[in-house]
Amino acid sequence: MEKIFRVDYFQKNNLLIVVAIIFGILIFATLLFYIIGIVNPNAKLSELKARTKSWWIMASMFILATVVNSMISYIAIAFLSFVAFRELYSLMGFRESDRRAIFWAFLSIPIQYYLAFIGWYGAFIIFIPVVMFLFLPFRFILKGETNGIIKSMAALQWLLLLTVFGISHLAYLLSLPELPNFNSGGRGLLLFVVFLTEINDVMQFTWGKLFGRHKIIPKISPNKTWEGFIGGIISTTIIGFFLGFLTPLKGSELIFVSFMVAVSGFIGDVVMSSIKRDVGVKDTGNLIPGHGGILDRIDSLIYTAPVFFHLVYYLAY
Amino acid sequence: MRKIILQVIYCVIIRNFLRLFIGVKFENSNILMTEEQFIVIANHNSHLDTMAMMAAIPHKLIHKVKPVAAKDYFGRTKFQEKLSNYFINTLLIKRTSSSEKGGDNPIRQMIKELDKGYSLIVFPEGSRGNPEVMQPLKKGIALVLLERPHIKFVPVFMYGMGKALPKGDGIILPFTSIVKFGNAEKINTDSNKDEIILNIEQRLIALKEQ
Repeated sequence: MEKIFRVDYFQKNNLLIVVAIIFGILIFATLLFYIIGIVNPNAKLSELKARTKSWWIMASMFILATVVNSMISYIAIAFLSFVAFRELYSLMGFRESDRRAIFWAFLSIPIQYYLAFIGWYGAFIIFIPVVMFLFLPFRFILKGETNGIIKSMAALQWLLLLTVFGISHLAYLLSLPELPNFNSGGRGLLLFVVFLTEINDVMQFTWGKLFGRHKIIPKISPNKTWEGFIGGIISTTIIGFFLGFLTPLKGSELIFVSFMVAVSGFIGDVVMSSIKRDVGVKDTGNLIPGHGGILDRIDSLIYTAPVFFHLVYYLAY
Repeated sequence: MRKIILQVIYCVIIRNFLRLFIGVKFENSNILMTEEQFIVIANHNSHLDTMAMMAAIPHKLIHKVKPVAAKDYFGRTKFQEKLSNYFINTLLIKRTSSSEKGGDNPIRQMIKELDKGYSLIVFPEGSRGNPEVMQPLKKGIALVLLERPHIKFVPVFMYGMGKALPKGDGIILPFTSIVKFGNAEKINTDSNKDEIILNIEQRLIALKEQ
Protein backbone atom coordinates (compact mmCIF):
# COMPACT_ATOMS: atom_id res chain seq x y z
CA MET A 1 0.00 0.00 0.00
CA GLU A 2 2.69 2.48 0.96
CA LYS A 3 4.28 1.95 -2.40
CA ILE A 4 1.15 3.02 -4.22
CA PHE A 5 -0.17 5.71 -1.90
CA ARG A 6 1.77 8.34 -0.07
CA VAL A 7 0.61 7.94 3.50
CA ASP A 8 2.58 10.98 4.63
CA TYR A 9 -0.11 13.02 2.92
CA PHE A 10 -2.12 12.93 6.10
CA GLN A 11 0.75 14.34 8.11
CA LYS A 12 1.02 17.33 5.80
CA ASN A 13 -1.69 19.66 7.00
CA ASN A 14 -1.02 22.21 4.26
CA LEU A 15 -1.99 19.85 1.48
CA LEU A 16 -4.91 18.48 3.42
CA ILE A 17 -6.33 21.97 4.02
CA VAL A 18 -6.25 22.79 0.31
CA VAL A 19 -7.83 19.49 -0.68
CA ALA A 20 -10.57 20.18 1.86
CA ILE A 21 -11.07 23.69 0.45
CA ILE A 22 -11.29 22.37 -3.14
CA PHE A 23 -13.87 19.73 -2.27
CA GLY A 24 -15.70 22.25 -0.10
CA ILE A 25 -16.05 24.64 -3.04
CA LEU A 26 -17.17 21.85 -5.35
CA ILE A 27 -19.76 20.52 -2.89
CA PHE A 28 -21.00 24.07 -2.31
CA ALA A 29 -21.33 24.74 -6.05
CA THR A 30 -23.06 21.42 -6.69
CA LEU A 31 -25.56 21.96 -3.87
CA LEU A 32 -26.10 25.59 -4.87
CA PHE A 33 -27.02 24.72 -8.46
CA TYR A 34 -29.14 21.80 -7.26
CA ILE A 35 -31.13 24.04 -4.91
CA ILE A 36 -31.49 26.83 -7.48
CA GLY A 37 -32.73 24.18 -9.90
CA ILE A 38 -35.47 23.14 -7.44
CA VAL A 39 -36.47 26.68 -6.45
CA ASN A 40 -36.48 28.03 -9.98
CA PRO A 41 -36.88 25.25 -12.56
CA ASN A 42 -36.60 27.75 -15.42
CA ALA A 43 -33.07 28.87 -14.54
CA LYS A 44 -30.57 28.04 -17.27
CA LEU A 45 -28.16 25.93 -15.28
CA SER A 46 -27.12 23.20 -17.69
CA GLU A 47 -23.87 24.97 -18.61
CA LEU A 48 -22.96 25.71 -15.01
CA LYS A 49 -23.86 22.18 -13.93
CA ALA A 50 -21.75 20.71 -16.71
CA ARG A 51 -18.87 22.99 -15.72
CA THR A 52 -19.12 21.88 -12.11
CA LYS A 53 -19.10 18.26 -13.22
CA SER A 54 -15.94 18.81 -15.23
CA TRP A 55 -14.33 20.52 -12.20
CA TRP A 56 -15.07 17.44 -10.13
CA ILE A 57 -13.22 15.30 -12.66
CA MET A 58 -10.28 17.70 -13.00
CA ALA A 59 -9.96 18.18 -9.25
CA SER A 60 -10.12 14.46 -8.52
CA MET A 61 -7.52 13.77 -11.20
CA PHE A 62 -5.00 16.26 -9.90
CA ILE A 63 -5.59 15.50 -6.25
CA LEU A 64 -5.17 11.82 -7.03
CA ALA A 65 -1.97 12.69 -8.85
CA THR A 66 -0.65 14.26 -5.67
CA VAL A 67 -1.78 11.45 -3.37
CA VAL A 68 -0.54 8.46 -5.29
CA ASN A 69 3.01 7.33 -5.74
CA SER A 70 4.87 9.90 -7.74
CA MET A 71 5.56 7.60 -10.70
CA ILE A 72 1.80 7.29 -11.26
CA SER A 73 1.48 11.09 -11.07
CA TYR A 74 4.02 11.49 -13.87
CA ILE A 75 2.14 8.95 -15.98
CA ALA A 76 -1.17 10.72 -15.33
CA ILE A 77 0.20 14.10 -16.41
CA ALA A 78 1.91 12.52 -19.43
CA PHE A 79 -1.45 11.05 -20.43
CA LEU A 80 -2.96 14.52 -20.20
CA SER A 81 -0.30 15.79 -22.60
CA PHE A 82 -0.90 12.84 -24.90
CA VAL A 83 -4.65 13.47 -25.11
CA ALA A 84 -4.15 17.21 -25.62
CA PHE A 85 -1.60 16.59 -28.39
CA ARG A 86 -3.87 14.04 -30.06
CA GLU A 87 -6.91 16.32 -29.96
CA LEU A 88 -5.07 19.26 -31.39
CA TYR A 89 -3.11 17.50 -34.12
CA SER A 90 -6.25 15.69 -35.28
CA LEU A 91 -7.86 19.04 -35.96
CA MET A 92 -4.98 20.55 -37.86
CA GLY A 93 -5.05 18.62 -41.09
CA PHE A 94 -1.53 17.31 -41.44
CA ARG A 95 -0.50 15.74 -44.73
CA GLU A 96 -0.55 12.00 -45.33
CA SER A 97 3.24 12.10 -45.64
CA ASP A 98 3.66 13.63 -42.17
CA ARG A 99 2.67 10.44 -40.39
CA ARG A 100 6.22 9.26 -39.66
CA ALA A 101 7.24 12.58 -38.15
CA ILE A 102 4.05 12.65 -36.08
CA PHE A 103 4.89 9.16 -34.84
CA TRP A 104 8.22 10.50 -33.50
CA ALA A 105 6.46 13.47 -31.98
CA PHE A 106 4.23 11.03 -30.07
CA LEU A 107 7.32 9.13 -28.94
CA SER A 108 8.79 12.31 -27.51
CA ILE A 109 6.00 12.42 -24.91
CA PRO A 110 7.21 9.48 -22.78
CA ILE A 111 10.81 10.64 -23.19
CA GLN A 112 10.05 14.16 -22.01
CA TYR A 113 8.17 12.83 -18.97
CA TYR A 114 10.91 10.33 -18.23
CA LEU A 115 13.41 13.20 -18.15
CA ALA A 116 11.10 15.00 -15.74
CA PHE A 117 10.79 11.85 -13.65
CA ILE A 118 14.52 11.35 -13.23
CA GLY A 119 14.90 15.08 -12.61
CA TRP A 120 17.56 15.71 -15.26
CA TYR A 121 16.84 19.40 -15.62
CA GLY A 122 19.34 20.17 -18.38
CA ALA A 123 17.97 17.50 -20.70
CA PHE A 124 14.36 18.15 -19.75
CA ILE A 125 14.60 21.79 -20.69
CA ILE A 126 16.27 21.29 -24.08
CA PHE A 127 14.73 18.03 -25.26
CA ILE A 128 11.75 19.49 -27.15
CA PRO A 129 13.00 23.03 -27.93
CA VAL A 130 16.37 21.80 -29.21
CA VAL A 131 16.52 18.05 -29.83
CA MET A 132 13.08 17.56 -31.33
CA PHE A 133 13.32 20.91 -33.08
CA LEU A 134 16.38 19.67 -34.96
CA PHE A 135 15.30 16.06 -35.38
CA LEU A 136 11.70 16.36 -36.62
CA PRO A 137 12.53 18.35 -39.79
CA PHE A 138 15.07 15.62 -40.61
CA ARG A 139 12.31 12.99 -40.38
CA PHE A 140 10.11 15.19 -42.56
CA ILE A 141 12.69 15.54 -45.32
CA LEU A 142 13.39 11.79 -45.37
CA LYS A 143 9.86 11.44 -46.73
CA GLY A 144 10.77 13.87 -49.50
CA GLU A 145 7.40 15.56 -49.86
CA THR A 146 8.36 19.26 -49.95
CA ASN A 147 5.00 20.71 -50.90
CA GLY A 148 3.71 22.29 -47.67
CA ILE A 149 6.65 21.07 -45.59
CA ILE A 150 7.27 24.38 -43.77
CA LYS A 151 3.73 24.47 -42.49
CA SER A 152 3.95 20.87 -41.27
CA MET A 153 7.35 21.34 -39.62
CA ALA A 154 6.27 24.52 -37.88
CA ALA A 155 2.88 23.24 -36.80
CA LEU A 156 4.25 20.01 -35.35
CA GLN A 157 7.01 21.71 -33.36
CA TRP A 158 4.61 24.31 -32.08
CA LEU A 159 2.12 21.63 -31.06
CA LEU A 160 4.80 19.80 -29.10
CA LEU A 161 5.79 23.00 -27.31
CA LEU A 162 2.20 23.77 -26.37
CA THR A 163 0.91 20.41 -25.30
CA VAL A 164 4.01 18.51 -24.21
CA PHE A 165 6.75 20.94 -23.22
CA GLY A 166 4.38 23.35 -21.46
CA ILE A 167 2.34 20.77 -19.56
CA SER A 168 5.42 18.72 -18.64
CA HIS A 169 6.51 21.57 -16.36
CA LEU A 170 3.72 20.43 -14.06
CA ALA A 171 5.44 17.06 -13.80
CA TYR A 172 8.85 18.61 -13.18
CA LEU A 173 7.43 20.47 -10.19
CA LEU A 174 7.27 17.04 -8.53
CA SER A 175 10.98 16.49 -9.22
CA LEU A 176 12.19 19.73 -7.65
CA PRO A 177 14.61 19.15 -4.76
CA GLU A 178 13.52 19.46 -1.14
CA LEU A 179 13.93 22.89 0.41
CA PRO A 180 14.53 23.48 4.12
CA ASN A 181 11.53 25.01 5.92
CA PHE A 182 9.17 24.08 3.08
CA ASN A 183 7.41 20.81 3.62
CA SER A 184 4.63 20.84 0.99
CA GLY A 185 7.23 20.15 -1.69
CA GLY A 186 6.50 19.66 -5.36
CA ARG A 187 3.03 18.38 -4.64
CA GLY A 188 2.16 21.64 -2.95
CA LEU A 189 3.44 23.60 -5.94
CA LEU A 190 1.49 21.42 -8.36
CA LEU A 191 -1.69 21.82 -6.36
CA PHE A 192 -1.08 25.57 -6.09
CA VAL A 193 -0.63 26.25 -9.80
CA VAL A 194 -3.46 23.98 -10.95
CA PHE A 195 -5.88 25.28 -8.33
CA LEU A 196 -4.95 28.92 -8.99
CA THR A 197 -5.27 28.49 -12.76
CA GLU A 198 -8.69 26.89 -12.50
CA ILE A 199 -9.93 29.41 -9.92
CA ASN A 200 -8.69 32.15 -12.23
CA ASP A 201 -10.88 30.75 -15.02
CA VAL A 202 -13.85 30.64 -12.66
CA MET A 203 -13.20 34.18 -11.37
CA GLN A 204 -12.82 35.67 -14.84
CA PHE A 205 -16.02 33.90 -15.89
CA THR A 206 -17.95 35.05 -12.81
CA TRP A 207 -16.78 38.68 -12.88
CA GLY A 208 -17.47 38.80 -16.60
CA LYS A 209 -21.00 37.43 -16.16
CA LEU A 210 -21.77 39.84 -13.32
CA PHE A 211 -20.25 43.10 -14.51
CA GLY A 212 -18.99 42.49 -18.05
CA ARG A 213 -19.61 45.48 -20.32
CA HIS A 214 -16.52 46.26 -22.38
CA LYS A 215 -15.30 43.52 -24.66
CA ILE A 216 -11.58 42.89 -24.58
CA ILE A 217 -10.97 40.95 -27.83
CA PRO A 218 -14.39 40.44 -29.43
CA LYS A 219 -13.01 38.81 -32.57
CA ILE A 220 -11.54 35.89 -30.66
CA SER A 221 -13.55 35.48 -27.52
CA PRO A 222 -16.79 37.49 -27.42
CA ASN A 223 -17.45 36.60 -23.77
CA LYS A 224 -14.20 38.04 -22.46
CA THR A 225 -14.55 41.50 -20.96
CA TRP A 226 -12.26 44.01 -19.28
CA GLU A 227 -14.35 43.75 -16.13
CA GLY A 228 -13.95 39.97 -16.03
CA PHE A 229 -10.22 40.23 -16.76
CA ILE A 230 -9.44 42.81 -14.09
CA GLY A 231 -11.80 41.33 -11.50
CA GLY A 232 -10.33 37.90 -12.19
CA ILE A 233 -6.74 39.08 -11.81
CA ILE A 234 -7.41 40.88 -8.53
CA SER A 235 -9.32 38.00 -6.95
CA THR A 236 -6.84 35.39 -8.19
CA THR A 237 -3.92 37.36 -6.81
CA ILE A 238 -5.65 37.63 -3.42
CA ILE A 239 -6.51 33.91 -3.36
CA GLY A 240 -2.96 33.08 -4.42
CA PHE A 241 -1.60 35.18 -1.58
CA PHE A 242 -3.64 33.26 0.98
CA LEU A 243 -2.69 29.89 -0.51
CA GLY A 244 0.97 30.88 -0.35
CA PHE A 245 1.71 28.28 2.32
CA LEU A 246 1.80 25.75 -0.52
CA THR A 247 4.84 27.50 -2.00
CA PRO A 248 8.24 28.50 -0.65
CA LEU A 249 7.52 32.11 -1.68
CA LYS A 250 6.88 35.02 0.64
CA GLY A 251 5.22 38.44 0.50
CA SER A 252 5.75 40.45 -2.66
CA GLU A 253 7.20 37.48 -4.54
CA LEU A 254 4.02 35.56 -3.88
CA ILE A 255 1.82 38.42 -5.04
CA PHE A 256 3.88 38.81 -8.21
CA VAL A 257 3.75 35.08 -9.03
CA SER A 258 -0.01 34.87 -8.41
CA PHE A 259 -0.52 37.93 -10.60
CA MET A 260 1.54 36.36 -13.38
CA VAL A 261 -0.44 33.11 -13.12
CA ALA A 262 -3.67 35.08 -13.51
CA VAL A 263 -2.44 37.07 -16.52
CA SER A 264 -0.85 34.11 -18.30
CA GLY A 265 -3.93 31.99 -17.63
CA PHE A 266 -5.99 34.55 -19.48
CA ILE A 267 -3.52 34.61 -22.38
CA GLY A 268 -3.51 30.80 -22.63
CA ASP A 269 -7.27 30.79 -22.71
CA VAL A 270 -7.57 33.27 -25.58
CA VAL A 271 -4.67 31.77 -27.55
CA MET A 272 -6.47 28.44 -27.48
CA SER A 273 -9.74 30.14 -28.46
CA SER A 274 -8.08 31.63 -31.50
CA ILE A 275 -6.81 28.20 -32.52
CA LYS A 276 -10.27 26.73 -32.16
CA ARG A 277 -11.65 29.50 -34.32
CA ASP A 278 -9.03 28.85 -36.97
CA VAL A 279 -9.73 25.12 -37.24
CA GLY A 280 -13.45 25.81 -37.00
CA VAL A 281 -14.54 23.86 -33.94
CA LYS A 282 -16.12 25.02 -30.76
CA ASP A 283 -15.28 22.09 -28.54
CA THR A 284 -12.19 20.02 -29.08
CA GLY A 285 -13.41 16.65 -27.87
CA ASN A 286 -15.55 15.07 -25.21
CA LEU A 287 -13.35 13.47 -22.59
CA ILE A 288 -14.59 15.76 -19.85
CA PRO A 289 -18.29 16.68 -20.06
CA GLY A 290 -19.64 20.21 -20.25
CA HIS A 291 -16.60 21.83 -21.60
CA GLY A 292 -16.06 19.63 -24.55
CA GLY A 293 -12.48 18.63 -24.91
CA ILE A 294 -9.66 18.27 -22.49
CA LEU A 295 -7.92 21.13 -24.24
CA ASP A 296 -10.68 23.46 -23.17
CA ARG A 297 -9.86 22.67 -19.58
CA ILE A 298 -6.10 22.82 -19.77
CA ASP A 299 -5.80 25.71 -22.23
CA SER A 300 -4.81 28.13 -19.46
CA LEU A 301 -2.45 25.57 -17.90
CA ILE A 302 -0.46 25.50 -21.13
CA TYR A 303 0.63 29.03 -20.28
CA THR A 304 0.54 29.07 -16.50
CA ALA A 305 2.56 25.87 -15.97
CA PRO A 306 5.83 27.08 -17.58
CA VAL A 307 5.41 30.68 -16.35
CA PHE A 308 4.84 29.54 -12.77
CA PHE A 309 7.58 26.93 -12.91
CA HIS A 310 10.29 29.26 -14.13
CA LEU A 311 9.32 32.07 -11.75
CA VAL A 312 9.43 29.70 -8.77
CA TYR A 313 12.59 28.06 -10.04
CA TYR A 314 14.27 31.45 -10.29
CA LEU A 315 12.96 32.91 -7.04
CA ALA A 316 13.22 29.92 -4.69
CA TYR A 317 15.54 27.24 -6.07
CA MET B 1 -15.43 -20.27 -23.85
CA ARG B 2 -15.24 -18.60 -27.23
CA LYS B 3 -17.85 -16.08 -26.12
CA ILE B 4 -15.68 -15.14 -23.13
CA ILE B 5 -12.59 -14.81 -25.33
CA LEU B 6 -14.46 -12.52 -27.72
CA GLN B 7 -15.85 -10.50 -24.82
CA VAL B 8 -12.42 -10.00 -23.28
CA ILE B 9 -10.84 -9.11 -26.62
CA TYR B 10 -13.46 -6.67 -27.86
CA CYS B 11 -15.42 -5.38 -24.89
CA VAL B 12 -12.37 -4.91 -22.68
CA ILE B 13 -9.09 -4.75 -24.58
CA ILE B 14 -10.02 -3.33 -27.98
CA ARG B 15 -12.72 -1.02 -26.64
CA ASN B 16 -10.34 0.63 -24.17
CA PHE B 17 -7.48 0.66 -26.64
CA LEU B 18 -9.65 2.51 -29.14
CA ARG B 19 -11.06 4.93 -26.61
CA LEU B 20 -7.95 5.78 -24.60
CA PHE B 21 -5.16 5.34 -27.12
CA ILE B 22 -6.64 6.05 -30.55
CA GLY B 23 -9.20 8.50 -29.20
CA VAL B 24 -12.35 6.98 -30.69
CA LYS B 25 -15.61 8.36 -29.43
CA PHE B 26 -18.69 6.13 -29.72
CA GLU B 27 -21.90 8.06 -30.18
CA ASN B 28 -25.33 6.55 -29.64
CA SER B 29 -23.87 3.01 -29.62
CA ASN B 30 -26.32 1.83 -26.96
CA ILE B 31 -28.91 1.77 -29.75
CA LEU B 32 -27.84 -1.86 -30.22
CA MET B 33 -28.74 -2.77 -26.62
CA THR B 34 -32.42 -3.02 -27.45
CA GLU B 35 -32.00 -4.89 -30.73
CA GLU B 36 -31.66 -8.65 -31.07
CA GLN B 37 -30.80 -9.10 -34.70
CA PHE B 38 -29.58 -6.43 -37.05
CA ILE B 39 -27.33 -5.61 -39.99
CA VAL B 40 -24.82 -2.86 -39.24
CA ILE B 41 -24.02 -0.93 -42.42
CA ALA B 42 -20.93 1.23 -42.11
CA ASN B 43 -18.53 3.20 -44.27
CA HIS B 44 -15.04 1.76 -44.56
CA ASN B 45 -11.70 3.53 -44.23
CA SER B 46 -9.40 1.39 -42.18
CA HIS B 47 -8.77 -2.00 -40.62
CA LEU B 48 -9.68 -0.33 -37.36
CA ASP B 49 -13.28 -0.05 -38.59
CA THR B 50 -14.03 -3.74 -38.00
CA MET B 51 -12.37 -3.52 -34.59
CA ALA B 52 -14.42 -0.43 -33.72
CA MET B 53 -17.65 -2.07 -34.83
CA MET B 54 -16.96 -5.19 -32.79
CA ALA B 55 -15.96 -3.08 -29.79
CA ALA B 56 -19.23 -1.17 -29.97
CA ILE B 57 -21.36 -4.34 -29.85
CA PRO B 58 -22.87 -4.98 -26.39
CA HIS B 59 -21.03 -7.82 -24.66
CA LYS B 60 -24.12 -10.04 -24.54
CA LEU B 61 -24.39 -10.10 -28.32
CA ILE B 62 -20.73 -10.23 -29.29
CA HIS B 63 -20.71 -13.93 -30.26
CA LYS B 64 -23.85 -13.51 -32.35
CA VAL B 65 -22.37 -10.85 -34.65
CA LYS B 66 -20.34 -11.60 -37.75
CA PRO B 67 -18.40 -8.97 -39.70
CA VAL B 68 -18.56 -9.74 -43.42
CA ALA B 69 -15.06 -9.65 -44.89
CA ALA B 70 -13.34 -10.39 -48.18
CA LYS B 71 -12.07 -13.94 -48.56
CA ASP B 72 -9.35 -12.86 -50.98
CA TYR B 73 -7.91 -10.65 -48.23
CA PHE B 74 -8.58 -12.29 -44.89
CA GLY B 75 -8.68 -15.88 -46.09
CA ARG B 76 -5.61 -16.05 -48.30
CA THR B 77 -4.44 -19.18 -46.52
CA LYS B 78 -6.41 -21.82 -44.63
CA PHE B 79 -4.61 -20.81 -41.42
CA GLN B 80 -5.43 -17.14 -41.85
CA GLU B 81 -9.04 -18.05 -42.53
CA LYS B 82 -9.23 -20.11 -39.33
CA LEU B 83 -7.64 -17.29 -37.33
CA SER B 84 -10.00 -14.59 -38.54
CA ASN B 85 -13.02 -16.87 -38.20
CA TYR B 86 -12.05 -17.61 -34.61
CA PHE B 87 -10.88 -14.24 -33.35
CA ILE B 88 -12.89 -11.82 -35.48
CA ASN B 89 -15.84 -14.14 -36.01
CA THR B 90 -15.80 -13.22 -39.69
CA LEU B 91 -18.07 -14.38 -42.46
CA LEU B 92 -15.69 -14.56 -45.43
CA ILE B 93 -17.17 -13.89 -48.85
CA LYS B 94 -15.67 -13.81 -52.32
CA ARG B 95 -15.59 -10.28 -53.65
CA THR B 96 -15.03 -11.36 -57.24
CA SER B 97 -17.86 -13.80 -57.82
CA SER B 98 -20.94 -11.89 -56.80
CA SER B 99 -22.87 -13.00 -59.89
CA GLU B 100 -22.13 -16.67 -59.34
CA LYS B 101 -25.05 -18.93 -58.43
CA GLY B 102 -24.97 -21.65 -55.82
CA GLY B 103 -23.48 -22.14 -52.38
CA ASP B 104 -20.64 -19.67 -52.69
CA ASN B 105 -22.85 -16.73 -53.66
CA PRO B 106 -22.17 -14.03 -51.03
CA ILE B 107 -25.83 -12.99 -50.89
CA ARG B 108 -26.86 -16.59 -50.09
CA GLN B 109 -24.07 -16.86 -47.52
CA MET B 110 -25.24 -13.76 -45.69
CA ILE B 111 -28.89 -14.84 -45.72
CA LYS B 112 -27.88 -18.25 -44.37
CA GLU B 113 -26.12 -16.64 -41.41
CA LEU B 114 -29.08 -14.35 -40.77
CA ASP B 115 -31.37 -17.38 -40.72
CA LYS B 116 -29.09 -18.99 -38.14
CA GLY B 117 -29.74 -15.97 -35.93
CA TYR B 118 -26.49 -14.12 -36.48
CA SER B 119 -26.31 -10.36 -36.94
CA LEU B 120 -24.00 -8.97 -39.62
CA ILE B 121 -21.59 -6.08 -39.98
CA VAL B 122 -21.12 -5.04 -43.58
CA PHE B 123 -19.03 -2.42 -45.29
CA PRO B 124 -20.80 -1.99 -48.64
CA GLU B 125 -18.12 0.34 -49.99
CA GLY B 126 -16.26 -2.88 -50.73
CA SER B 127 -12.74 -1.72 -50.03
CA ARG B 128 -11.16 0.83 -47.74
CA GLY B 129 -10.22 3.15 -50.60
CA ASN B 130 -8.62 6.54 -50.09
CA PRO B 131 -8.67 7.72 -46.49
CA GLU B 132 -11.91 9.48 -45.54
CA VAL B 133 -13.39 9.46 -49.06
CA MET B 134 -16.70 7.65 -49.38
CA GLN B 135 -17.17 5.42 -52.42
CA PRO B 136 -20.46 4.35 -54.03
CA LEU B 137 -22.09 1.44 -52.17
CA LYS B 138 -22.31 -2.06 -53.61
CA LYS B 139 -25.83 -3.32 -54.23
CA GLY B 140 -25.54 -6.74 -52.56
CA ILE B 141 -26.69 -5.60 -49.16
CA ALA B 142 -29.96 -4.32 -50.66
CA LEU B 143 -30.65 -7.81 -52.05
CA VAL B 144 -30.07 -9.33 -48.62
CA LEU B 145 -32.41 -6.82 -46.99
CA LEU B 146 -35.08 -7.45 -49.63
CA GLU B 147 -34.93 -11.20 -48.96
CA ARG B 148 -35.20 -10.72 -45.18
CA PRO B 149 -37.20 -7.49 -44.77
CA HIS B 150 -38.02 -8.14 -41.09
CA ILE B 151 -34.38 -7.57 -40.10
CA LYS B 152 -33.50 -3.99 -39.18
CA PHE B 153 -30.46 -2.22 -40.50
CA VAL B 154 -28.34 0.20 -38.47
CA PRO B 155 -26.38 2.84 -40.41
CA VAL B 156 -23.02 3.76 -38.88
CA PHE B 157 -20.78 6.58 -39.96
CA MET B 158 -17.14 6.55 -38.96
CA TYR B 159 -14.72 9.40 -39.25
CA GLY B 160 -11.02 9.59 -38.46
CA MET B 161 -9.85 6.00 -38.37
CA GLY B 162 -8.74 6.24 -41.96
CA LYS B 163 -6.16 8.67 -40.63
CA ALA B 164 -5.26 6.54 -37.63
CA LEU B 165 -4.49 3.52 -39.82
CA PRO B 166 -4.83 4.28 -43.54
CA LYS B 167 -4.65 1.71 -46.30
CA GLY B 168 -1.09 0.86 -47.22
CA ASP B 169 0.54 2.07 -44.01
CA GLY B 170 1.54 -0.20 -41.17
CA ILE B 171 1.81 2.36 -38.37
CA ILE B 172 -1.13 3.09 -36.12
CA LEU B 173 -1.21 6.71 -34.97
CA PRO B 174 -3.71 7.98 -32.43
CA PHE B 175 -6.26 10.20 -34.15
CA THR B 176 -9.40 11.60 -32.58
CA SER B 177 -12.12 9.65 -34.35
CA ILE B 178 -15.84 9.30 -34.11
CA VAL B 179 -18.25 6.41 -34.62
CA LYS B 180 -21.85 7.55 -34.96
CA PHE B 181 -24.73 5.09 -34.80
CA GLY B 182 -28.01 5.89 -36.51
CA ASN B 183 -31.35 4.46 -35.44
CA ALA B 184 -32.33 0.93 -36.43
CA GLU B 185 -34.82 0.83 -39.24
CA LYS B 186 -36.65 -1.69 -41.41
CA ILE B 187 -36.63 -1.28 -45.16
CA ASN B 188 -39.67 -0.27 -47.13
CA THR B 189 -40.66 -3.56 -48.82
CA ASP B 190 -42.13 -1.76 -51.81
CA SER B 191 -38.84 -0.22 -52.87
CA ASN B 192 -36.34 -1.77 -55.24
CA LYS B 193 -32.65 -2.33 -54.58
CA ASP B 194 -31.52 1.02 -56.01
CA GLU B 195 -33.94 2.90 -53.79
CA ILE B 196 -32.75 0.96 -50.74
CA ILE B 197 -29.10 1.73 -51.51
CA LEU B 198 -29.97 5.38 -52.05
CA ASN B 199 -31.82 5.46 -48.73
CA ILE B 200 -28.84 3.91 -46.92
CA GLU B 201 -26.46 6.36 -48.56
CA GLN B 202 -28.63 9.25 -47.50
CA ARG B 203 -28.77 7.96 -43.93
CA LEU B 204 -24.96 7.72 -43.85
CA ILE B 205 -24.53 11.23 -45.21
CA ALA B 206 -27.10 12.55 -42.73
CA LEU B 207 -25.06 10.99 -39.90
CA LYS B 208 -21.91 12.54 -41.28
CA GLU B 209 -23.40 16.01 -41.34
CA GLN B 210 -25.23 15.71 -38.05
